Amino acid sequence: MTSLDAGGIATGGGARFLGQRRFYWRLLIRGAALLMFTLGIYRFWLVTDVRRFLWSNTEIAGEALEYTGTALELLLGFLVAIALLIPIYTGFFLAALDMGLFGKLSGIIAFAALGVLGQYAIYRARRYRLTRTIYRGLRFHQEGSAWGFAFRAMLWWIITVLSFGLAYPFQLASLERYKMRNTFYGDLGGRFEGSGIALLLRGFPMWVLLLAPLVLAVRGFFGVDWTALADAVAQGGDDVMSKIEGGNPGLGAAIVFAMLMAGATIALAALLYPAFQAMILRWWASGLRFGGIEVRSVLRTRQVYGAYARFVGYAMVFSIAMGAIGAFVLGVMGTAVSIGRVDTADQIATILALLIGYVVTALGFSTIYRATVLLSLWQLGMESLQLSGLSALETVKARGRPSSALGEGLADALNVGGY
Amino acid sequence: MNSGAGIYFDGVTSTRRDVVVELAPDGLQISGHDGRSWGQWPYDEIEELTAPDSILRLGRRGSATLERLEIRDPAFAAAIDVRAAYVDRTGGTRRRERMRVIAWSVGATVSLLLVAWFGVPAIAARVTPLLPVALELKLGDAVNMQVRGMLDTRNAGAAFECGIAAVEIPGRAALDKLVRRLEAAAALSLPLRTNVVRRDEANALALPGGQVYVFRGLIARADNADEVAGVIAHEIGHVAHRDGTKAVLEGGGLSFLFGMLLGDFVGGGAVVFAARSVLQSSYTREAETAADAYGTDLINKAGGDARGLASMLDKIGGATEPGAKILMDHPETKARVAAISKAATVVSPLPFLNASEWAALKNICAGS
Repeated sequence: MTSLDAGGIATGGGARFLGQRRFYWRLLIRGAALLMFTLGIYRFWLVTDVRRFLWSNTEIAGEALEYTGTALELLLGFLVAIALLIPIYTGFFLAALDMGLFGKLSGIIAFAALGVLGQYAIYRARRYRLTRTIYRGLRFHQEGSAWGFAFRAMLWWIITVLSFGLAYPFQLASLERYKMRNTFYGDLGGRFEGSGIALLLRGFPMWVLLLAPLVLAVRGFFGVDWTALADAVAQGGDDVMSKIEGGNPGLGAAIVFAMLMAGATIALAALLYPAFQAMILRWWASGLRFGGIEVRSVLRTRQVYGAYARFVGYAMVFSIAMGAIGAFVLGVMGTAVSIGRVDTADQIATILALLIGYVVTALGFSTIYRATVLLSLWQLGMESLQLSGLSALETVKARGRPSSALGEGLADALNVGGY
Repeated sequence: MNSGAGIYFDGVTSTRRDVVVELAPDGLQISGHDGRSWGQWPYDEIEELTAPDSILRLGRRGSATLERLEIRDPAFAAAIDVRAAYVDRTGGTRRRERMRVIAWSVGATVSLLLVAWFGVPAIAARVTPLLPVALELKLGDAVNMQVRGMLDTRNAGAAFECGIAAVEIPGRAALDKLVRRLEAAAALSLPLRTNVVRRDEANALALPGGQVYVFRGLIARADNADEVAGVIAHEIGHVAHRDGTKAVLEGGGLSFLFGMLLGDFVGGGAVVFAARSVLQSSYTREAETAADAYGTDLINKAGGDARGLASMLDKIGGATEPGAKILMDHPETKARVAAISKAATVVSPLPFLNASEWAALKNICAGS
């Protein structure tokens, strides 16, 4: 489908990623170091740099995208979000001090309220990113109510949890339909045609594989005499464990079996996650439509596993290096301790060393993850696209205005960010 | 080179137009191959926008539309770079801007750390005396609920507090007698609630709102009632100085500074927690010394032997039981012991409990 002309520019129906990994690594490593020295303030600039890199190196039908957002907008959005959240947090804090019914429920109410607010932020943040995305001299934009999306999303999460994840494909499809029918490139309206049932059918074997060990584990507890167990716990006493074991000879075996099965589920989940991600990405991209433009993704699951394999490789090298440095530092500190002068200053130095070690490790892993998995997913996702009906691109008219970065700020303050 | 090829988007429609760009003396002259003019961009209105490395993408500063001009010929791009003030292909402008950002962010970080180190404790120390007692009691209830949740391990189903079962009642009475004498001397603005609780560490703590917990491990390690009285007097010092409330305010201020304002850049919760314990360990040292002085003074006032606190501190100062934070919160034990011994001035002190009462207090947790 993709035809390349002499200049190497895709003029057919494809997308290309032109960015160099080397440059991205440099950007991320420098960003991580600055994040550490500025206690995270630099994140607005890092996020903007990352988006500029990803957007401007993504070429669709021969034209590269452009990201026009700035770090100062993000900073301002964050400050506004903080100004809105402080009274809310203060309110919940005061409510928690109150011993009444509201005080007791304030934790649950806060959890639910912040959950809705998080979804609201996700939708508003998407609007910000879209209105800062320029393609062929026109802006994308997003309409629709963020609160409408937030309540829809919360409702779907409840249904998904209650259905043990079986409703998840329908949740994705429904929310994506809402997002896409409110998404516009200029005056060209988007829509989403992926079907929940198709995704469910494809993902069902995975669901069975993951849930089977858990079901088996729960079945192991059917033989347990719960009344006897409750009595033993209620009675208490030093020999409560032996009492429990006496009343239920099978309990110990059931617990061991349950732990094994839970371990199996976790291991399976880790192994299947790249395949799951590839499946979702393929399904999602293939459902995207803009007017007469149709998208199809030919992403290979194998490629996503490749990205994770690279992550594991880099992460192992990094862990070994950090382990060596940590052992050296601890050795030096250990000598200081064995000389016998442990005062408060030493204790603070030790805690600071551990703190720095923790931050460096966490930033290191997140940098490696961004430079391997996230970049690869972006690149593979783009390069596997096949677009048709591109003639519609020639006559789109400008529409839409840039939106504020409040959503980005809220998402940042509530920790529900994306790219 | 006075003209070159470009791709032009007018910002009104998405139509892609191949154009000829001419370097006129005062700006770029953009025209189609059919001779139609697409505009003239003065050199000082041209800005460079992000694009792949091989492309120079230009926009017009302050333009209402998003018109774009793309140049793919490197030599021609360089020629435009030379003429347009705001186009800098070497990236020098951007680097300078970046350095400014970095300098200010580091400055903000230093300022925040200084606020955390000096500002937060200063604010907490000034706000705490202004809080009404009623609010402190409420705060105390909330903290108490959390602290109990952490400390109460429900050992063997017995109650958390000692002094409830029948065999423990005389112990409770002895404790009450001891505390009453101290409380009378202290004249606090809020009622004291003192309890011995089932924890095996040799420790005691005072919460906001006058709740004092003495761990049964401390009673077990004490050799006489004066030692227990000394520790309780020290904790009353914390209550009188409202150190618990101060600590809650400080903790809240620090989590706010580091957690919310700075954002969670890598699961910062753990970082916040660690940073807080580093910062707060420096506050508590001064508070401990002040509580020592208050406690010694209080025992003197009540006519007791304040050396009990010194000998108890000496005993548990080197405590290494797991979970005992004594070393962390109570540094420089030797200096404190010396200071207390020096301040213990009562010549013929009156013991806090007689022998049988002391035996009863020792048995305050005998119920299980």
